[in-house]
Amino acid sequence: MTHLELSHIRKAFGAAVVVEDFNLAVNQGEFISFLGPSGCGKTTTLRMIAGFELPTAGTITIDGNDLTNTPPNKRNVGMVFQSYALFPNMTVAHNVGYGLKITSKSKAEIMQRVHEMLALIQMEEFAQRYPFQLSGGQQQRVALARALAIRPQLLLLDEPLSALDAKIRLELRHEIRRIQRQLGITTIYVTHDQEEALSLSDRIVVMSKGKIEQVGTPTEIYNAPATEFVARFVGHINLLPVTVLNPTDGVISLGRQTLRAGRFGKLNGRPVQLAVRPEEINLGAKPDTNTLSGEVESVTYLGSIVRIGLRIEHHPLSLDVFNEHTLKLPRIGETHTIHFPVNACWLIEKSD
Amino acid sequence: MGRFSSIRVLLCFAVPPRCKGTVVAMSTSPPPRYRNNAWREHPLWNWVGLVPFFLFIFLFLIIPSLNLFTGAFVTNKGFFTLENLSVFRNPLVLKAYMTSLQVSLLTAVIGGLFGFFVAAAITLGHPPRWMRSLIMTFSGLAANFGGVPLAFAFIATLGRTGFVTALLKEVCFPGPDGTQICPFNPYDHGFSLYSLTGLVLAYTYFQFPLMVLTITPALEGMRKEWREAAANLGASTWQYWRDIALPVLTPSILGASILLFGNAFGAYATAQALTGGSIPLVTIFVGQQIRGDVLGNPHEGYAMAMGMVVVMAITIVAYSMLQRQASRWMKV
Amino acid sequence: MKAQQINWWAIFWIVLAALYFLLPMYGTLDFSLRMERNTISLKAYEIVFADPRFWRGFQYSTLMALITIVVSIILFVPTVYWMYLKVPQARPIMEIITILPFVIPTIVYVFGLIRTFSRPPFQLTLHAFTTDMLIVAGYVVISMPFMFRAIDVGMRALDVRTLTEAAQSLGSNWFQVLVYVIVPNLRVAILSGALISFATVMGELILASFLVRPALAPYMALLGLTKAYEPAALAIISYALTWFSLGLLQIVSQGGTTRQLTGR
Repeated sequence: MTHLELSHIRKAFGAAVVVEDFNLAVNQGEFISFLGPSGCGKTTTLRMIAGFELPTAGTITIDGNDLTNTPPNKRNVGMVFQSYALFPNMTVAHNVGYGLKITSKSKAEIMQRVHEMLALIQMEEFAQRYPFQLSGGQQQRVALARALAIRPQLLLLDEPLSALDAKIRLELRHEIRRIQRQLGITTIYVTHDQEEALSLSDRIVVMSKGKIEQVGTPTEIYNAPATEFVARFVGHINLLPVTVLNPTDGVISLGRQTLRAGRFGKLNGRPVQLAVRPEEINLGAKPDTNTLSGEVESVTYLGSIVRIGLRIEHHPLSLDVFNEHTLKLPRIGETHTIHFPVNACWLIEKSD
Repeated sequence: MGRFSSIRVLLCFAVPPRCKGTVVAMSTSPPPRYRNNAWREHPLWNWVGLVPFFLFIFLFLIIPSLNLFTGAFVTNKGFFTLENLSVFRNPLVLKAYMTSLQVSLLTAVIGGLFGFFVAAAITLGHPPRWMRSLIMTFSGLAANFGGVPLAFAFIATLGRTGFVTALLKEVCFPGPDGTQICPFNPYDHGFSLYSLTGLVLAYTYFQFPLMVLTITPALEGMRKEWREAAANLGASTWQYWRDIALPVLTPSILGASILLFGNAFGAYATAQALTGGSIPLVTIFVGQQIRGDVLGNPHEGYAMAMGMVVVMAITIVAYSMLQRQASRWMKV
Repeated sequence: MKAQQINWWAIFWIVLAALYFLLPMYGTLDFSLRMERNTISLKAYEIVFADPRFWRGFQYSTLMALITIVVSIILFVPTVYWMYLKVPQARPIMEIITILPFVIPTIVYVFGLIRTFSRPPFQLTLHAFTTDMLIVAGYVVISMPFMFRAIDVGMRALDVRTLTEAAQSLGSNWFQVLVYVIVPNLRVAILSGALISFATVMGELILASFLVRPALAPYMALLGLTKAYEPAALAIISYALTWFSLGLLQIVSQGGTTRQLTGR
């Protein structure tokens, strides 16, 4: 059932159009991520949902109620900021309880709710601390509790983990997902980190230059990126310029070598590229797969995997192999044969 | 490269020519000679470089200040006495203290409020950038523009023949009984620049810019996200100011107020030049006491001066107590 | 990025502030030009500039200001440097000491200073030269809050320890580090402190007046007692002086301000 609906949203600051024709229907309890590079309009869209920015055109509805022109303090939408934005003059308990105090709830009720929220984020013993006495991760958890305390219809998170250390980021990521599942609250999560988006979301909205590039589940986004932008932005990918020899069964050529693509949509006659993820490629030859050969240019040790860079028909290509103890690494300058399954690669039109 | 002896560094500052030879000697001679000097590792050794500064401060700040205190408690012959404190029973002296406090509080409050609104206007009001730079530049100027010239400027503007006074004489104002008063001469209606009102007007000229200068950084530190987070939780603008903005600003406002108070309390030149000493301020009294003894007992002057320090000390103690309360939530 | 909408409430306060700044300034300028009846003239300025006492005061105050600045730099730069390098724990006490001249009313300080140094064992007020020494010491103390703070702020922006170690590793001794590395990096800070000190000393009335030295401010005060138009001219001249030193300060310390002022 549709909970939040954005239709034909457009936002312009003067002559600069920041968001254009943004359409999205979010279901009750869904976890949606807005993913894209900085300046793609994802934060602006989130701020329009929160009410901090007014859309130039379009409507925002929650449960069928038009909220487009409702001021932010009347929307009952919880928001978590990148910079935590805890009120420095209030203790943790007062921060969490502030939204309830505004709605003139009784002291006992506020106290009970604050306890409940602090239990949810497992920080009961920090109730009397001030924000400056907390670490970044703790502050962000309090900010989450504060946003949730008012029982919002919607939870908005604006790059909540960007300011934190890598380890805390991972911890908190799981915590956000756990709490979101537990409360079943509809959530919009803005991030530029594809790993966060992939691991957290029910669906991902990939944006670029103010427009939606693709909406889909993490699997769809990763395995079947619709555009070159999505393919490049999410994960690591090899894109090799190829020539289509036979559009019906997908026979293509890369220089002097002939290959088959597993999937190819409607081709409009524009230059196409063969897309294949590094982890799908293996060393050596195998029958009934695409087989290519090229010179090894680099071998990069990344811990659990080793990334090998080759040059095939003048084009760079990288492949990942698991770092097993039996692994015999190729040397730079050697010529190696590689293979990947036909259905692990697909064609993408080159974007302008 | 050798670790340079601290003493020699000091000598360098005092007698530069001596350095040259030392420097050359130092850079060529091997350093290990110093290695065994354990006394050099003593923590007190670290303070040696501050000796010239402390010597200067001791001579020209500490001794004169101590002199005031001892002077306030001795007789002409140099014996200890509390007699000099009787100066505070003198109604003229008490009046002077009251007037000084009154002027200082008044200009601190008026200048503080005015300055706060101006600072808020140039930070939160998002005016065109040139307006903001202009106000900041003028504030820097006006806060430093006190003393005699300020008095002259106000005399030329609001004095009996001043520019604004002349302008006011051209216009009509509705009188209290509904009739028009033409021409309106403010001096016929109780106003005088050479009075307390005039003094407050003149002091405000440097007080409010000082407030602008001191409070603007604090206002700039107000994060946009606080306002948004508050709005997000349902707070109105007024609730945001009451619950977050003002509490967050309180320590800065307190600090600025004490600055303004002290600034007015110690001001002398403007009052002297504006009123020729006819308004009894403590500073004017102390000034007269330096010129020549007007109270009959020179040590009563010490007592009066010391009284001012005591007032400032009490203000600062009160301030720091309030400050501790207001800034519990701040990192030290 | 935000759409520019004019906030009338803000404009109101800004205009009010601008009026408070400009009206007395304009009033004074207007007044100073009206010495001759029914005509605008520079008569008041001519009289002031023809008065040798004005030049004497100007010269004396400028000289004292320059000496004060030099003494302040020689005294404070090495002190602050040493504090950063060796005794950072001295900072709180240094801060309290350097703010004292701001807390103690100048007239009280001068009272103490004069009573201390006008009698044995430290009598300095007998000769003009020693009195000037005393005056410089007083000016250094009075301008200390500005000077110290400026140098302190400048030094804080530098990584003094790393700079020192880098220079030492290249063969400098401490004196060379100070003169060739620290001071050049502090140029802006020192200059801004110096300009505020300059403005302070040029306008300082109390010390010179009670020690009866021919400084600018006592001359002005004296003139104010007997004349009407000349003081206005003098006020404009000191406006210009303050403008000059603090305007210079703005340019030095912010670099871009002048461009912003004229850029839009």
